[in-house]
Amino acid sequence: MIVHRIVAIFLLFFGLGHSDAWAHGGVVEEDDLCVIKVNYLRAHFKVYQPAVRGLEQFCEDLPAATQSIFVMEYQHDSLSEMEVDFRIIRDVTGKGRFARLEDVEQIADIEGVTVFYQEPVVEPDVYLVSHEFVEEGDFVGIVSARQLQTGKLYTAVFPFEVGFTGLGYWPFFVGLLVLLQVQYLYMSGRFGKWFGGNSGAATLLVIGLCFAISDVSASELRVSFTAPDGQPRINQMHSWILHIADESGRAVEGARVEVDGGMPEHDHGLPTKPRVTEELGGGDYKLEGLRFHMSGYCEILIRVATESGTTVAMIPLQL
Amino acid sequence: MSRSKVSVLALLCGALIIAYWQFWPKAIPGWTAEEVEVLRSLSLSSLQDLPPNPSNAVADNPLAAEFGSRLFFDTRLSANNGISCATCHQPIRRFTDGLQKGQAIGTTDRNTPSIVGVAYSPWQFWDGRRDSLWSQALAPIEDAREHAFNREQVRSLVTDDAQYREYYESLFGRLPEPGRADAHSTNVVFANIGKAIEAFERTIMPGESRFDRYVAALVNGDVERQEELFSDDEVRGLRLFISDANCTQCHNGPLLTNHEFHNTGVISFPGDIPDKGRVAGVREVMLDEFNCKGEYSDDDKRSCDELEFARTDATLIGAFKTPSLRNLENTAPFMHKGQFATLADVLENYNVAADAMIGHNEAKPLGFSQRQLDQLEAFLRTLAAPVQMMATREGQGD
Repeated sequence: MIVHRIVAIFLLFFGLGHSDAWAHGGVVEEDDLCVIKVNYLRAHFKVYQPAVRGLEQFCEDLPAATQSIFVMEYQHDSLSEMEVDFRIIRDVTGKGRFARLEDVEQIADIEGVTVFYQEPVVEPDVYLVSHEFVEEGDFVGIVSARQLQTGKLYTAVFPFEVGFTGLGYWPFFVGLLVLLQVQYLYMSGRFGKWFGGNSGAATLLVIGLCFAISDVSASELRVSFTAPDGQPRINQMHSWILHIADESGRAVEGARVEVDGGMPEHDHGLPTKPRVTEELGGGDYKLEGLRFHMSGYCEILIRVATESGTTVAMIPLQL
Repeated sequence: MSRSKVSVLALLCGALIIAYWQFWPKAIPGWTAEEVEVLRSLSLSSLQDLPPNPSNAVADNPLAAEFGSRLFFDTRLSANNGISCATCHQPIRRFTDGLQKGQAIGTTDRNTPSIVGVAYSPWQFWDGRRDSLWSQALAPIEDAREHAFNREQVRSLVTDDAQYREYYESLFGRLPEPGRADAHSTNVVFANIGKAIEAFERTIMPGESRFDRYVAALVNGDVERQEELFSDDEVRGLRLFISDANCTQCHNGPLLTNHEFHNTGVISFPGDIPDKGRVAGVREVMLDEFNCKGEYSDDDKRSCDELEFARTDATLIGAFKTPSLRNLENTAPFMHKGQFATLADVLENYNVAADAMIGHNEAKPLGFSQRQLDQLEAFLRTLAAPVQMMATREGQGD
């Protein structure tokens, strides 16, 4: 077991063996995000043990034999339309970290070693299962997703350990690498340069972002709104009249107008799904179903599609 | 002086300075005109008249409210003759039950919410799976874990009880003859029972709290009265509430709720999988036969803006309705599954604001000191107020 772990760490650490070790999917950490790959389908994967570890997230190995909640948040929309099942078996493959789909397929009595099984279910939003582990040990998780139209089955296999107490050899290796890197930078006199270069890149990035944003609001269309009660009010459903004109001020008629928006500082969208319900003529469009639910900075994005193309205009609002 | 004496003295001075900085009462700056406006918007005096509910023709009818109150407390509306609406919605506890999850014939999935002031909300239940109080009232009656009754039994009860029959027929017209009732006419009776219960629930409103009196004193410029009403800690807590604590992002308006759905990263209930909340609730309300667009709605124009423009996407995963803070007193435990036993636990959740188990936690960590949390809690307790039973709008003229 320990030998397995050391080898696994080496493989992961030096960027080798990802595709090899997890040829049939599996759970991997990418940029601090734990991801399950079911063939080409991906989902954000995390496990919780709320009774003992509160809101702490685990990627694979779990500290205790207790209620464990497995969460898959789809990064791929088609998963939300597929039938997904979830099985946990005791690891009888003898392969530990390197258990693959082939090894699992060779188990004659899969039911006999199954400790948890969730029947296939189409779950449109977020996939959740909960299992109460009664003993520590090595397990293998098997997630299968079936495409309903074609019947094609995609499977991910991920070995994991319950009762995983230590951090393994990770801190040692990370510490060593950081030390080596710092020593190298220091010895080669690049320490200052390295940081200087980084801030330059950051500045460039910020400038790039500014351009991107100003581009959106400075579209060649002019969109203005009138709210019937003057100011937009909070917590009240109301409608607006949008007036859309081109650069020269000429009314834009017959456009398809879609509206979305949100509050960038609060990471969320509008509470409702407002819609243009009527074209009133003369470049005026009736926008219904607007409601704001908190004060603060809000952006309304107006997507205007005409024969000559699609433009997005932004209305910034300080509520 | 020896060196050790000097260092002891220096240490003592240091300790005194820190103690002064930490605990000496500091002068509280006055409220700016802008802040007074915000406070006024949170005061009960800003509460507008209850908007009409066109989907319920008897929503503001006093006779319907009277009938509704009888139904609300009637344990015959259950499979075991022992459960009424008031089993979980106990008036003495601001219409909650003091339990983590509702307990009737069985155990429900969630915490019993208060019904004080909820007539203002366009959505009912923690996940907003109903769009009116009348359609909400019907769901527990047929839920096997709650009343475990059914609509046919409701129709029979109303038909067989002479007083109920009289109420019903003077409000809604003739009941179907026993034996001649079909599914549709049974549904009509069932929906009407819900509408009477809504008429009663629309009269249950929060009363004036110490906070409201404080705001009134503030608006009148009565400093003495302000000091009489609010302690320094309560004033500081209130200031945090409308500023750094970001509470008014969701707990705004005179009912201290925006009636919307938010994910605040509350931990799952022991043994349960995390609750998906609004994302599932919005799907359910669209399919509800008793919703605003359905055939049992009294709104001829079917002007159902809330349903029409409801958001349905993944941002609603793990989101729950913002509860009114006017119902904090005597309603613990808190949150959608009663996960938190005390207000301090609730505030700690916002102080840490960890990543949500599912979906995205909209709250940002506050990182407040214990002192600040205590001040916030002190303020929240000033919102305590008795329940007010209002006259129905149509009854007011009598």
